[in-house]
Amino acid sequence: MNAYIIQLRLGLLAIAASAFLLFVAIPAWVTTPGGIQNIVLSPSFWPYVLAGLTGLVGAGLVLAALREQRDGAAYDPPIADRGRAYLRLGLMTVIMVVVTVGTAAIGMVWMSMAAFVATAALVRTRHPVAAVICGILLPLVLYAFFAHVASVAIPQGNLVRLP
Amino acid sequence: MNAFDSLMAGLSLVGNIQAVLALTIGVAVGVIGGAIPGMSATMAVALTLPFTFAMPTIPALLLLLGVYKGGIFGGSIPAILIKTPGTPASSATILDGYPMAERGEAGRALGMALWASCTADLISNLALILFAGWLASFAMNFGPPEFFTLILFSLTIIAGVSGESLLRGALAALLGLLLATVGLDLVYGTNRFTFGDPNMMGGLNFIAVLIGLFAIPEVLAMVLNPTGHLGKTRSIGKNWVTFADYRRSFKSIVRGSFIGVALGSIPGIGAAPSAFLSYSEARRTSRNKEAFGKGEVEGVAAAEAGNNGVAGATLIPLLALGVPGDVITAIIIGAFMVHGLQPGPTMFVMNIDIIYGLFIGLILSSALLFMIGSVAIRGFKYVADIPRRLLIPGVLILCIYGVFAVNNNLFDVGVMFVMGWVGFLMMRYHVPAAPFLIAFILGPLLEDNFRQAMLMSGGDPQILVRGPITWFFWVLTAVTLVAVARAGFRGVQDKVRVKTSS
Repeated sequence: MNAYIIQLRLGLLAIAASAFLLFVAIPAWVTTPGGIQNIVLSPSFWPYVLAGLTGLVGAGLVLAALREQRDGAAYDPPIADRGRAYLRLGLMTVIMVVVTVGTAAIGMVWMSMAAFVATAALVRTRHPVAAVICGILLPLVLYAFFAHVASVAIPQGNLVRLP
Repeated sequence: MNAFDSLMAGLSLVGNIQAVLALTIGVAVGVIGGAIPGMSATMAVALTLPFTFAMPTIPALLLLLGVYKGGIFGGSIPAILIKTPGTPASSATILDGYPMAERGEAGRALGMALWASCTADLISNLALILFAGWLASFAMNFGPPEFFTLILFSLTIIAGVSGESLLRGALAALLGLLLATVGLDLVYGTNRFTFGDPNMMGGLNFIAVLIGLFAIPEVLAMVLNPTGHLGKTRSIGKNWVTFADYRRSFKSIVRGSFIGVALGSIPGIGAAPSAFLSYSEARRTSRNKEAFGKGEVEGVAAAEAGNNGVAGATLIPLLALGVPGDVITAIIIGAFMVHGLQPGPTMFVMNIDIIYGLFIGLILSSALLFMIGSVAIRGFKYVADIPRRLLIPGVLILCIYGVFAVNNNLFDVGVMFVMGWVGFLMMRYHVPAAPFLIAFILGPLLEDNFRQAMLMSGGDPQILVRGPITWFFWVLTAVTLVAVARAGFRGVQDKVRVKTSS
C-alpha cells in the first residue's frame, strides 16, 4: 500500500465510522436521562463531539490522499504467498477465540500450553522440541507464581486440577 | 528539633541492616515485577503490601517505596526488548528503545534507560526534599477547570508522537478518546456503549488495551510473515551505554526529570503522560529530530527521565498533604495508616524523624536502583537472544496471564485480543499507536474535569478561564497548536516544492 491508498481508505473509513456513530450508535447505545437542561452536561455530548471530529479528520485524510501520487512507492515490502499468510492469520484468530471462550472450561494452564504449541507451529519455529518444553514449563511457572505468590484465582477448568 | 537533629534522627532510623535490606529487596522485587508485562509496578506494590503489615514502620515503608522505584524502571526492560511495556509508564520508551533493540543495540538502550532513570530518580527525590511543601500547596489550587486545561494541553503532545502524518495521529487519538467513553457515565450513571454487558460498565481495562495495542500486533505480524525478522540484527550488541551518549542526552534527562517532578506533584496525572511529554519536548528541541522514533538513544533517555521523575514527586502531595499523587501512592498511603501514621502537615511536626528517614531512604534507593538495575539488565537482556519464533508464543502466554491477573476476568483477555487486532490494523495502515494510548489515558480525565467544571458553573463556559492557572495552560495550548500548524504547513510546502522540482 502506498500513501494514497492508506490515506484514502483511512479517510473513508473515518467518515463512515463518524456517520455510524452520529446516526446509529450514539442514539442507540448512549442512554441520556430526560430533563437535562444544558447540552454540555449530557452523557452523549462528548461522544457526539468526538464523532464529529472523527468525520472532519476523515475528510482531511481524503483531501490529503488526493494530494498524494496514485502510483507512489509502497510503504511495506509485499507479503510472499498472500493466501497462506491470511490463512495463518485466520488460524491465529481461531486460537484467540478458543483461548477467550474455552479457558474457563479447560483451565488456563492447559489452554496456555495448547496455545503456545499451536502458535509456535503457526510461526513455523525451527526449534519444535524446545517449543514443546517451553510450552509446558512456562504456563506451569506462571501458574505457580500467580496462584501461589500473587494469590490470583487462575481458572482451573473441569479437566485436571492443579494443586 | 532543628534540621540537623531531624536528619540525625532520620539517619538513626534508616542506618540499620533491616532498613537497607528491606529497601534492597523492594527495589529488586520492583524491577522484576515491572519487567513482567501485565504485572506492572502498581500490582507489584499491591502484592507486597500485605507482607509489610507485620514489619516495623520504616523497613515496611522503604520496602514499598523500593518496589515503586524499581517497578517504574523495570517496565522499560520488556518495553525495549520485546515491545511490551511492563508498566504503562514505559509506553514512551518503546518508541525508540525497541527500534534500537531491532538494530542490535538493546544493551545500549537498556543502559541509557538505567542511567536516565537513576538520574531522574535522584532529581525527583531531591525535589521532594526541597520543594515538598511549596509544590504541594500550588497543586492544591487545582480544581476541575485547571485540570481540564492542563489535560487539554497534555493532549497537544500527540502532535509530537504522530510520526509521519499528523492526521493519522489525530485519528488514532480520536479513536482512543472514543474508546475511553465506554462504560457508565460518571455524572448520571447511565450506559454508554456497554450493550448491557456488566463487564463493560467499568470501561475497558487499561492494561488489556495497552498490552493488546502494543504486544499482540507483534504476535500477529509474526504470524503474517514468520520469516520477516530473519536477517535483522537483534542481538544485545554493545553491552553498555557510553558516557558520551549520557552527556549528549543530559539536557533531555534533566528536562524530563523536571517535567516528571512538575506533573508528579499534581495528583492524578501519573508517569505515562510525563514520559510522553518529556519525549515530545526532547524531540522538539533535538538536532536529531528525524532520528526520533527510529532508535534515537536520546529518546529513550527522555522517556525514562520523564517517568522516573514522577516517582519521587508523587510523594510530595502524599507526605505534605496526605493526598496520593497516583494509584501506587494511594496503595502506599494504606501502609502508612496500618502503621498508625497519618500523612499530611501534622506528620511534619509529629513524625519528622520518619519523614527524614524516608528522605534518606529515597536517596539511597537511587544508588540501589543503579546497582540492581545493572544486574537486572545483564539477566533480562538474554531475552533478546531467545529465538523470536519461541519468544513470540511466550509473549502471548505472558500477556494472557498478565491481563487476566489484573481483574481475574477472562473478558479482559478477549478485550486484549480485540485491541490486538485494532493495533495490528493500525500498524499495517501506519497509524501510530502512541496517540491512541495517550488519548485513552487522558480521555476520561479530560471529560470528567470538563463536566465537573460545567456542573460547578451551571454550564457557564467562563469557568474555564477563571484564573491565572487556566490562562497559563490555554496560552501554552495555543502556542503549541500554532507551532504544530506551522510545522504542518511547512511540511506541505516542502512536499509541493519537491513535486514541482521533480
